[in-house]
Amino acid sequence: MTRMKAFTVRRKKTLYETIEPWLFLLPALIIFAVFLYYPFFKTIYLSTYLTNKYGEPKVFYELQNYLDILVGKYSAAFWNSMWVTLRFVFFVAFGSLLVGLTTSLLTARKFPARAFASAIYAMPIAIASAAAAMSFKMIFHPSIGLVNRLAGTRTNWLNDPAWAFPIICVISIWLASGINFIFISAGLRNIPDELYESAAIDGAGYWHQQRHITLPSLSPTLFFQIIINIISAFQSFTQVRLLTSGGPNETTNVIVYSIYLDAFRNFRFGSAAARSIVLFVIIMIITLLQFRAEKRSVHYQ
Amino acid sequence: MSQATLTRRQKNALSALLRIGLNLPLVLLIMLPLIYTFMMSGMPADELYSRLIPTRMDFVSYSHVFTKTTIPRQIVNSFIVAGSVTILQMITCSMAAFAFSFLQFRGRNLVFMCILATMMVPWEATIIANYLTVSHWGWLDSYRAMILPYACSAMGIFLMRQNYLTFAKELHEAAKLDGCGNWRFLATIVIPLARPALGALGAYVFLQQWNQYLWPLLVTNSDKVRTVQIGISQLYDIDSEQIGLMMAGVVVVLIPSLSIFIFMQKQLINGLMAGAVKG
Repeated sequence: MTRMKAFTVRRKKTLYETIEPWLFLLPALIIFAVFLYYPFFKTIYLSTYLTNKYGEPKVFYELQNYLDILVGKYSAAFWNSMWVTLRFVFFVAFGSLLVGLTTSLLTARKFPARAFASAIYAMPIAIASAAAAMSFKMIFHPSIGLVNRLAGTRTNWLNDPAWAFPIICVISIWLASGINFIFISAGLRNIPDELYESAAIDGAGYWHQQRHITLPSLSPTLFFQIIINIISAFQSFTQVRLLTSGGPNETTNVIVYSIYLDAFRNFRFGSAAARSIVLFVIIMIITLLQFRAEKRSVHYQ
Repeated sequence: MSQATLTRRQKNALSALLRIGLNLPLVLLIMLPLIYTFMMSGMPADELYSRLIPTRMDFVSYSHVFTKTTIPRQIVNSFIVAGSVTILQMITCSMAAFAFSFLQFRGRNLVFMCILATMMVPWEATIIANYLTVSHWGWLDSYRAMILPYACSAMGIFLMRQNYLTFAKELHEAAKLDGCGNWRFLATIVIPLARPALGALGAYVFLQQWNQYLWPLLVTNSDKVRTVQIGISQLYDIDSEQIGLMMAGVVVVLIPSLSIFIFMQKQLINGLMAGAVKG
């Protein structure tokens, strides 16, 4: 066997054998080259230019696009949308984690209809943000919406600077709760039953067990999940566009929506590209933090 | 303690009751938007302004969705786009994953790293340039503009590769000795064995594409190719008939995605688990 292996390695490959692996990779590499690598570098390139409304780079602008959004003429709007985004990300990431944790704990042990409850908790993963947004638009409808009917008010919630932001957070938490439920449930199933059994023998009650067994065993899952939540919350767009269009008074103008406005309403592609790159850097830092933390936890084992 | 006097059976029954009692409100809360949407879709027009819960369900809005709007056409468009992307990804990803798990060649690890690195690039970092490319090519308002950018994914390659790596290496050696080339080996042996992974990839990609909103919004402007998520968002209009129509449209659009969720839950979750690496 070993001799045969050595033989195959030493034999010279034919030309076809040399290129065959690349034939298998060709479709993937073409798609990635055209729609991922090229546009990524082009976005960086565009971010250093002023463009015309067709997106053709016209004037080399050095780092002025970045300076414009960070300290210059667009900085007030940019930092406002950054602040909106950070608060949004915070509430959605922790809110959906909390919902996912609660629903996972509630379905951790057997009871009748557990399968049904689990399916409902996971269901939001299948729901499109556009469909969800239309449904929420009805719920908060000024004249016949569910909330106004129940409260006996005629508030235009989505147009109210105090309410638009929390509503956008609620719909986003609802949409993200399914994936949180799925991952945290999977994490719970990986905790050995013996831990709970021996704790029960020692007389530990439910809350004591959750505090001293579940939480520590689950913390890598929760950490991973919060990172996933943060990254996807940073990228929310549909619900904002359909429910509030970034308003009222810019209170829901999250960064992706501001990129969209900049590029496709104001046709400032250079400035929009600069915003995209800023967002890319933020997301990359978060991803790298996650990689580092994961590596460390592997070392500990 | 009074509990000490309870038998084990009574205790179990109590705990089940407690769990049902705690889960029920939460289940209803999570379902509320869907229940409400369904209710509003069947609300008779004369009750819309007077009642919270309809006394009867009237499904005329559904027939209006199919006769008076562009939704039917857009459903077809969505199926064409999501279906094509799904099939293309199954092909491109299983091919690329094959090279990474069964073949030896120079630069393999480097190329694999380059592909994995794309998972770190969020779509915002490419979408503006992609839009400009597609419009420069005159592809705006076409199916290919919606399909080709998504014809492959690092997540799909990764998912398929993880699956192939579980296959015995001897399988490939034996096939080679029998004179079975790599293409035939992939098509006749690997693909049939990898069906569960392909199912997971397919369910995940189809759902993701069916639910897509921003990219189709950017690259289309006519109902001829527009997908249905954009279609329902355009039904919004304040007048009593339109509300039922809009909600019926939402229900219709949810049916395919919820069906995938119900009938392919396991595959979908497996796909999600692989996809979550990307976030």
